Amino acid sequence: MTKQLGFYANTSACTGCKACQIACKDKNNLPVGLLWRRVYHYSGGGWIQDPDNKDLMIPNRVFSYSISASCMHCQDAECVKVCPTGAMMKDENGIISIDADRCIGCRYCEWACPYSAPQFNEAAGVMTKCDMCKDLVTQGQNPACVDACPMRAIEFGDLEELQAKYGTVNAIEPMPSGEHTKPALVITPHKDAERVGAGTGHILNLAEEI
Amino acid sequence: MSNDNTFTNPLKETSLSRRSFLKWSSVLGGTAAVAGGIGIGLDAFEDAVQAQASDGQWVAAACWGNCGGRCLNKAFVVDGIVTRQKTDDTHPDSPDFPQQRGCSRGRSQRQRVFGADRLKYPMKRAHWEPGGGDKSLRGKDEWVRISWDEAIDIVTSEYKRITEKYGANSVLWGTNALAAAGGYTNTWGSTSSGTWAYTAPRVIGDYANAGNDRFELRKSKLVVMWSTDPITSSGGNPAYNYLQAKKAGAKFIFIDPYYNPSAQVLADEWIPIRPGTDTPMLLAIGYVLITEDDPATNPLIDWDFMSRCTLGFDKTNLPEGADPEDNYRDYVLGLDESGNLAPEGHKNYPAKTPQWASEICGVPPQKIRSFALEIAQTKPVALMESDASARVNNAQSIGQAFVAIGAMIGSIGVSGGGIGRTRHSTAGNVGPNLIKFGRNGAILESAENPVKDRINNNEIWDAVLTGKYTAGVGEKTDINIQFVYHTKGSRLQTTVGQAQGIKAMREVEFALCQDFHLTTGARYSDVVLPVTTQWERDGYLVIPNRETAFWASNVIAPLFEAKDDEWIDWQIGLKLGVYDSATPELPLKQRIFNQVAGATVLMEDGVTTEPLVSITEEDLAALGVTGTPQTGRIPIMEFKANGSYQVPRYEGDNFTYIALKSFREDPVANPLPTESGLVELHSAKLAADITALGWTTIRPIPEYLPPERGYEATFSDWSSKTKGEFPLQMYNKHYWRRSHSEFDNVLQLREAFPQEFVMNPIDAQARGIKTGDIVKITSSEASAIRPVVVTERIMPGVTFLPHGAWTEFDEALGVDKAGSDNFLEAGVPTVEGHSGYNSQIVQVEKWDGPELTPDARWPQRIISI
Repeated sequence: MTKQLGFYANTSACTGCKACQIACKDKNNLPVGLLWRRVYHYSGGGWIQDPDNKDLMIPNRVFSYSISASCMHCQDAECVKVCPTGAMMKDENGIISIDADRCIGCRYCEWACPYSAPQFNEAAGVMTKCDMCKDLVTQGQNPACVDACPMRAIEFGDLEELQAKYGTVNAIEPMPSGEHTKPALVITPHKDAERVGAGTGHILNLAEEI
Repeated sequence: MSNDNTFTNPLKETSLSRRSFLKWSSVLGGTAAVAGGIGIGLDAFEDAVQAQASDGQWVAAACWGNCGGRCLNKAFVVDGIVTRQKTDDTHPDSPDFPQQRGCSRGRSQRQRVFGADRLKYPMKRAHWEPGGGDKSLRGKDEWVRISWDEAIDIVTSEYKRITEKYGANSVLWGTNALAAAGGYTNTWGSTSSGTWAYTAPRVIGDYANAGNDRFELRKSKLVVMWSTDPITSSGGNPAYNYLQAKKAGAKFIFIDPYYNPSAQVLADEWIPIRPGTDTPMLLAIGYVLITEDDPATNPLIDWDFMSRCTLGFDKTNLPEGADPEDNYRDYVLGLDESGNLAPEGHKNYPAKTPQWASEICGVPPQKIRSFALEIAQTKPVALMESDASARVNNAQSIGQAFVAIGAMIGSIGVSGGGIGRTRHSTAGNVGPNLIKFGRNGAILESAENPVKDRINNNEIWDAVLTGKYTAGVGEKTDINIQFVYHTKGSRLQTTVGQAQGIKAMREVEFALCQDFHLTTGARYSDVVLPVTTQWERDGYLVIPNRETAFWASNVIAPLFEAKDDEWIDWQIGLKLGVYDSATPELPLKQRIFNQVAGATVLMEDGVTTEPLVSITEEDLAALGVTGTPQTGRIPIMEFKANGSYQVPRYEGDNFTYIALKSFREDPVANPLPTESGLVELHSAKLAADITALGWTTIRPIPEYLPPERGYEATFSDWSSKTKGEFPLQMYNKHYWRRSHSEFDNVLQLREAFPQEFVMNPIDAQARGIKTGDIVKITSSEASAIRPVVVTERIMPGVTFLPHGAWTEFDEALGVDKAGSDNFLEAGVPTVEGHSGYNSQIVQVEKWDGPELTPDARWPQRIISI
C-alpha cells in the first residue's frame, strides 16, 4: 500500500485569520504574488423585511466560513500528468513537489490544477508550490502552517489515519469536487457549509488576495 | 556619537561577531535592494537563507504590538540576520495548557524589522529652517541625512528657542528630558476604553478584572458577545479559549453590526444592531425584565443581589439628597415621581419599551424581548463586551446600562457567569496574574512635568489651529502650540480629526518624530530619528496573559544608525543640562535581569509563591550582570532560551477566578471601590465628574443621549425617516493587517488583508456597486477611496472601514487613497472626552477616477539618502 500524506482542515474552527498563509510565506520567503497557501472566505444568505415590523430588515440565513487550502498533493494529480519535463513529481510519501532545474515554466500545471496550487514565479521563470514543508517533515516536524494555526484547525499526517479520525469529506462549496483529482485532504465541514455545486453564496476575497 | 552614551552601545554590548556586524552594515549602507519582492532591504539576505540550518540559532524574539495576544515568537538567526520565524513550541499543546501561538501580524515581525523601508539615519526636511522654513512642504519635502549630533542639536536648540519665546506649554508631547527641562503640554482622554474609563471605577470598580477565568468560561451555559471580535482584535489564544467553552456546551449569542470572524466560528445566533445604539437595547432589556418578572411564577431578576449589592435601582434605594426621579427603574419604565407614566417632555419620558428601542437600534421588538427572557432564564450567563460600543460619542450611559443588566440577571460574582470586558490581553481569561516580575532597580526617578496644560484628544488639532481648548465648564484656555513631538503611540495617525491634524502640522514651527518607518507622524515632521525595534534591544519582558511570562532576548544588532528611545532621551537631557552624565541609569540588560530575578510564581496550592528562576554564579557571568544566586522553579537560562514560562493548568486547579464573588457574598465586608461600595446604577459622582469636564451634562443614571454622528444623525428628518447628506453609518473595526496602526507597511500583510471597505448588498445595489469596485467614501471631514467588499454579513445602513491605515492623501485627486479611519473622523468632545471612533456617518458612491493599485503593490516608503 503506497503511503499518502495529507492535510486536515477543520473549517468549523477556521476564522480566516491567515496565520497559516503568513507562516508559509515567511518560511519559504515568498514575495507578494506567490501564495502557496490561500484562505478563502465564502458567505451568503440575505436580508428580508421582518414580517412583524415592515420598517425593519432582518438577516435571513446569513452565513460565512473560511477554507485554508494549499496544494492537495492529489492521489490522481493532473499537474503530474500534464508536466512535459517531469519536473512535477510525486514522492514515496505522496508529496508532490517541483524540481526547479527541470521546470521550463510552461505553466501547464497551473492550467490543469483545480486548486490554484502551482504558482508561477515570474522573476525565476519557474513554477512553485506547497511542498508540505518536505524539509521539516523528513526531520519529523510539522509543516509550518500546522504549527501556526491559533485555532489548531489544520493537521497533517497519513491520509488514511486522518480519514479514520475525521471522515472522508474532501470538498465543500466553493471548492471543486474531490472526484477529479482525489485530493489528499480531509475536511470537517462548517455547520453552514454548502455542498459542492449547490452553493448559494459568493467568495468575499478581492482578486489581489488569492 | 557621544562617549557619554551610558545606555545602549551596540558595538560593545552585542554578542554578534564583529565580522558579521561589519559585513551586514556594509551591505545595508547603500540603496537597499528589495530582496525578491518580500520588501526586505538586505542584499546579504539571500546568502543567509542559503546557509545551512545548523549555522543558525533560534532566539526568543519579542512581539510587542499593542494587541491582545503578544504571543511567543522565535527568530532563526543566521550570521546576524533572521531568516525565518516560528511560534511557541516550548511545550506540547493542549486546550488546558495551550501554546502561545502568534497571529499573522506577529508572524510578520521579521518583514517589519528588516523592511527596506526602515528609517536608517537621522534626517531633516530639506526646506526646514528654525521657525519652520516652508511649512507647506511638510509631508512632501525631500529628506537630508544628518548626524546624530546635528539632530540632537536641532531638537534641543529648537526646544530652548521655542519655549523661551512662547513658554513651555507651546510644546505638545515630550519625554522625560523635556519634562525636566521645563515641561510640555500633554493630552488626555480615553481612546481604547471608550466611556468605561470614567464609568467603570464609579459604577463597579475594577472593571478590568470583572470577567471570567478561561476554565470558568467552560461552565457558562450562555456566552453573550456584545460588540466584540476577539479573534481579530486579540490574536493568539483568546479565540481558542472561547472555542473550549463552546465545546463544553455553551451557547453563543453575538450582538454586533457585523457577523464577524468570531461569530463565524462561535455564534449560535447573531443579533445585528446598529452601531452606537446599544444603550437603548440594554434599557429595553431592563424594561422586559422589570415588567415581566414575577418572583413566584416567572423569576427573571436576582432581587437578592439587587437589594444587597446595588444602589439606585429604584427610588427607595437612592443616596441622600438625590432627585427621586433619578432612579434606574422609573427611568426605564418612563414613570414620574408619583409612579405614573411620565408625560412627554418629562425627563423620564418615554417608557424604554422594546418598540421604543427597536426604532433606534434596528433589532425587532420581539427579538429584544426573547433575548431578555433568555439571558434571565438561563444560568449561568457570561455577559461579555469589548468597549467598541463605548467608543461612541455621547455614550456615557452604556457602562451603567450594561452593568445593570448583568446585575439583574445574576451574572455578577457567580461561577460560569461574569460580566465584563473581553478585550486585549484579558480576552476570555481574566484573573490575577500567576506570575509577577520583580522591580527593575532603576536608579533615576521620573521628572515631574511642571506644565499643567492638558488638551483633550478630541480638541488637539483644533487647539493648534485656533489657539484654544476646553478646560472645564464654560472655560476656554489659550494655548499656542509651536513644537510637536511625536514620541510614540502614532498620535497623528490614531487621533480623531486627522485631516485637521495634517493642517495643524503645517502651522507649527517645529515637528519631530522618532519611529521605525516613515509613519504618518514621521512624514509630516521636520526632523525624523530612526529608532530600534525590540529585536535590536537588550531584552523585553511582558505578561501576555495571566498564566504566562515572556522574556525576549536581543535578536540582532541595531540596524543602520537606529538608537533606542532611552538613548535619544538621554542625549537630549544631557544637551539641555538636565541629566548628569555622572549618574548613569542601569543598563537595560541589568534592569531586565533584576525583574527576572525578582519574579515570583504562584505554586500549585494557589496561595504560596516561589521565585520563578534559579540563578548560579555562572549564570551571572554568562549574562554579564550583577546579582545574587538564588533557587527558584526553573533555571534562569532555561527561561531565557525558551523565552517563555507558562504555568501548567488543568480543570479544577487552584488558579481559577470568579470576579466579585466575595463582594456578592458580603458587600459590607468586601465593598467595591465605588463611592457607596455598591454597584451604582445611580452615581452622583459620575454625573458630577462628567459635567465638570465642560462638554455634556449627564444624569446619575444611564440616560440615553443620541450620539453626535450616530444613527439618528443620518436623517434630516427623524419622524419621516428622510435620510440626510450622510445616510450611512460607518464604524472602524480592528483589522488583521494591523495592530492599531502597526504593521500597515508590511507587504505580505497588505497582500493578505487588502483594507477593504465593507457594505451591505442593499446599499451597494442602490449605488450600482459590486465587490471589487473602487468606492469613494465621504464624511463631513474628507473623502477616501477603497476597494469594496459587498456582503450580507453587515447590516443594511452600516459600513465599516478597518482601523489603522496610514493616510496617503492625494492632493490632485482630493482623496485619501489608503482609507485612514481617522482621516474621515472628526474630533467631537462629548461626555468624558473619550474618542468616539465608532460614531461616523458617510455617503458612498462608485469612484469614477483613476484606477487604484492594490495596496500590496504600492511602493514602500523607502528614503534614499
